[in-house]
Amino acid sequence: MLSGTSRRRPLGRTIVHVALVLSVAFGTLAGAAGYWAVVAAPGLVRSPYDPAVISAARTVPRGLIYDRDGELLASNEVDANGESYRVYRSRTMSQVIGYASPRYGRAGLELAYDAELAGLAGDPMADMFRKFVADPYDPKDLTLTLSLPLQRAAARALGDRRGAVVMLDPTTGEVLALASSPTYDASAIANPATARETFEALLADDRQPLLPRATLGRYVPGSVFKIVTAVAGLGSGAVSPSTTYEAQPPAEEDGLLVEGFRIRDGHHPATGDRELDLVGATEVSCNIWYALTGLEIGGADLVDYAARLGFGAPIPFDLPTAVSQVTNGSGDEPGGFVDDVELANAAYGQAETFVTPLQMALVAATVANRGELMRPRLVTAISGRDRTRTIGPASLRRVIDRSDADAITAAMVEAVEGDLGRGYTAGADVRGVTTAGKSGTAELGGSGEPHSWFIGFAPAEAPRVAIAVIVEQAGRGGEVAAPIAGDLMATYLEPGG
Amino acid sequence: MPRVLGHIRPRMRWIETQLLILVAVALSVGSISLGLTLSGTIAPYEPVGLAIYLATLGGAHLAQILAGRRSDQVLLPVVGMLGGLSLLLMQRLPQDLVTLDIGETTLGLGNVQLVWLVLAVVVATTLGIVVRSDTWLRSYKYTWAALGIGLLLLTFVFGADVGGQRLTLRIGPIGGQPSELLKVILVVFLAGYLSENRPLLIEQDTRLGPVRLPPLPYLAPMVAMWAIALGIVVVQRDLGAALLFFAVFLALVYAATGRVSLVIIGLLMFLAGSAIMASLFEHVQARVAIWIDPFADPLGDGYQIVQSLHAFARGGLLGMGFGNGLPEVGGRLPIPEVHTDFPLAALGEELGLIGVVAILGLYLVIVERGLRIGASAADDFRSILATGLALVVGVQAFIIAAGNLKVLPLTGVTLPFISYGGSSLLANAVVVGLLLALSDKGVEPPPPPSGGGWRWRLRRGSR
Repeated sequence: MLSGTSRRRPLGRTIVHVALVLSVAFGTLAGAAGYWAVVAAPGLVRSPYDPAVISAARTVPRGLIYDRDGELLASNEVDANGESYRVYRSRTMSQVIGYASPRYGRAGLELAYDAELAGLAGDPMADMFRKFVADPYDPKDLTLTLSLPLQRAAARALGDRRGAVVMLDPTTGEVLALASSPTYDASAIANPATARETFEALLADDRQPLLPRATLGRYVPGSVFKIVTAVAGLGSGAVSPSTTYEAQPPAEEDGLLVEGFRIRDGHHPATGDRELDLVGATEVSCNIWYALTGLEIGGADLVDYAARLGFGAPIPFDLPTAVSQVTNGSGDEPGGFVDDVELANAAYGQAETFVTPLQMALVAATVANRGELMRPRLVTAISGRDRTRTIGPASLRRVIDRSDADAITAAMVEAVEGDLGRGYTAGADVRGVTTAGKSGTAELGGSGEPHSWFIGFAPAEAPRVAIAVIVEQAGRGGEVAAPIAGDLMATYLEPGG
Repeated sequence: MPRVLGHIRPRMRWIETQLLILVAVALSVGSISLGLTLSGTIAPYEPVGLAIYLATLGGAHLAQILAGRRSDQVLLPVVGMLGGLSLLLMQRLPQDLVTLDIGETTLGLGNVQLVWLVLAVVVATTLGIVVRSDTWLRSYKYTWAALGIGLLLLTFVFGADVGGQRLTLRIGPIGGQPSELLKVILVVFLAGYLSENRPLLIEQDTRLGPVRLPPLPYLAPMVAMWAIALGIVVVQRDLGAALLFFAVFLALVYAATGRVSLVIIGLLMFLAGSAIMASLFEHVQARVAIWIDPFADPLGDGYQIVQSLHAFARGGLLGMGFGNGLPEVGGRLPIPEVHTDFPLAALGEELGLIGVVAILGLYLVIVERGLRIGASAADDFRSILATGLALVVGVQAFIIAAGNLKVLPLTGVTLPFISYGGSSLLANAVVVGLLLALSDKGVEPPPPPSGGGWRWRLRRGSR
């Protein structure tokens, strides 16, 4: 018994302190458990390292993938061991849909929507009650914005040349075709019997068939970039549609001298001493007018308006995208240019300017949609067992005023349909429809053939399709890319197409 | 042990009865849920094992009623619930994780654990009924300490290396992990030492500048404890046990003296020791690096902890359901050593966040009962002993749960009453048995206060 005479304090108080410390410690554990089980859980349960994901991928058939008209693009078959594997409808879709392979992982939309297709991710509420459902997996089907016939037509047009075609609805951002060439057979990667030899052969192929050129290829744009310069010029107010330069006609003879560098042009025989405005300069693709406009705009505004169009950052999209750039930013001048030579050259798409085909399609689409850039989309619906989530159009931002966009449209129409323009964009004109566009011939330096570019849209009055076409090292834009674009837009616009 | 059994008069234990019925219902529902998942029928999964376990709990309850002691009525049901969860988990895991051959028959994981659980309940109940005097504990504290250090040395000399750790002592056919028993022995020693020297530690001062400390010679045991903890790390490579001993030691020093300065000195020594260990031993550095970012190497060094976190994530709020978790890939469990090191992760996946919080709550109840017994004990020795015993369970549960949840670096201590393993279950059964015995205020009164040990008397006499 503790004697009353003891001067010692009883232990009770310090024991209470110990109890408090332990309670806090256990509270911390409960908090940590809550973090991993609730806060961090959505990321962890979708991770490819999660054994449930690995296990489900082997046994649960993945969700199906359809094109915009309900054509089946990706389905499943079962092998001798009872494990499910993917079968793809068309190899023209491989660069977009990608593949799902137990050995080589995922690529394309199969990677981007892995959790949904595997049936692991749903809405958080449904996941919480998953254990009460007989079948805990709910693979979702995807409905794409792509059109299988159009995608096939685009691939056919590219043939065995390297290049890419991007077509989208400028008013909704729905991507109608996203073709890259060369492509590969995704079914052969997904099929366990042929996966290894197929994949190793693809890795060894120096034509890089696994590279989705439309979204990850970065190219010198050449003259198609002039539309970006036009957007920046009108948007910033540096120039107007009627701006002309006294220095331009005399410089046509032997080039425009910028800080010792001579910028040359090739349309002198057609325009003579005429001072060109926006429409005239676009019609004949005048390098000197655009170089002078670039200098008027200044580096900071040129880079800024390009960024509004999507340059300088990955494009918000269902697939990973390479970053397009006006300059590599190594210089100290505004915008990161080294000097006026680089700025003047960038303004007509040479210098350190690199773009993705998707980015250039968005430039055309922004002009077509009267200055408003829509978010590009590949998926319109994610359908589960008893719920379908639809994804509608969303505006990314207004880039320029409608009137400025209309002025650029007028210039692009002249570039396709004008008496002089036709010579640069032969075959781009969609019969019976006013077509707007711009060709590009991207010089690569050295003795190689230039990249052949075309961007455009139709019908000019109420655009339903915007397009970007690049064929690598195929020659002049007007001769190769322009007719491909004209044919593909016609295919899409023709009745029932 | 004088007067082991006095006059016996049966005494009902209604609270314990009600709680045990609740435990039996909960475990039966769990077993049926497991059966529904694994065999597809609405029947308990391996009902014989569960029946044996519940019968053992009932027998323990009956024995305590008949013994008529007025001991705590909450501890047995709470520990019984944790042990029952352990049984269901071990029945549900692949049975070939652990096998034991007895003659012709081979016992799998679930049945081996059942044997240990039954033994543990018997040990705890027997101690709770039989121990009526603490003289055998309080009088021989240095003997206990010597025994503990002897165990440690034996492990060092004869111990078998398992997975880079020298934890297992094997003499003939009997093997065990001495550090499990060592923790009980050290608490007994500390209770003896601290209760005897408590007045001195509280009232005497050594001035060190502005800091007032207890007389420095009495800090010697603290240094000794520190050395033992480091020794465990060096000899056994067992960071968890070292952390457990040191934390319990510091908490007991504080509980006995109320001096924060001692705790701060102890923490500084701990930090210094950790820094030395981390600079000397690569396995310590590796543990810390894995703890900081397990996702840096999710398939290599970080594999276990990453898989543990994935298990909690799959469980979510409500869990996957008993038997539905731990997805096997290629016939392999996602978490290696799940039955010893990661039972909480497995339960977190199958019972969800609410299950984990409930299990943590059960440990807090054990701690609360133990501390309550300590706070209301008849003298300092019993008070510190009960506090220490409660802390041994609580801190150990915290260390391994924190390891599973990436709150602390992962160390290989067991989750009390749930992890597979005889040493762990029996050592914790001894803890529960002693707490039960200490909770009975009707037993033999402690010896009269001696006034603080012979040193205290000597000093007073010399004044």
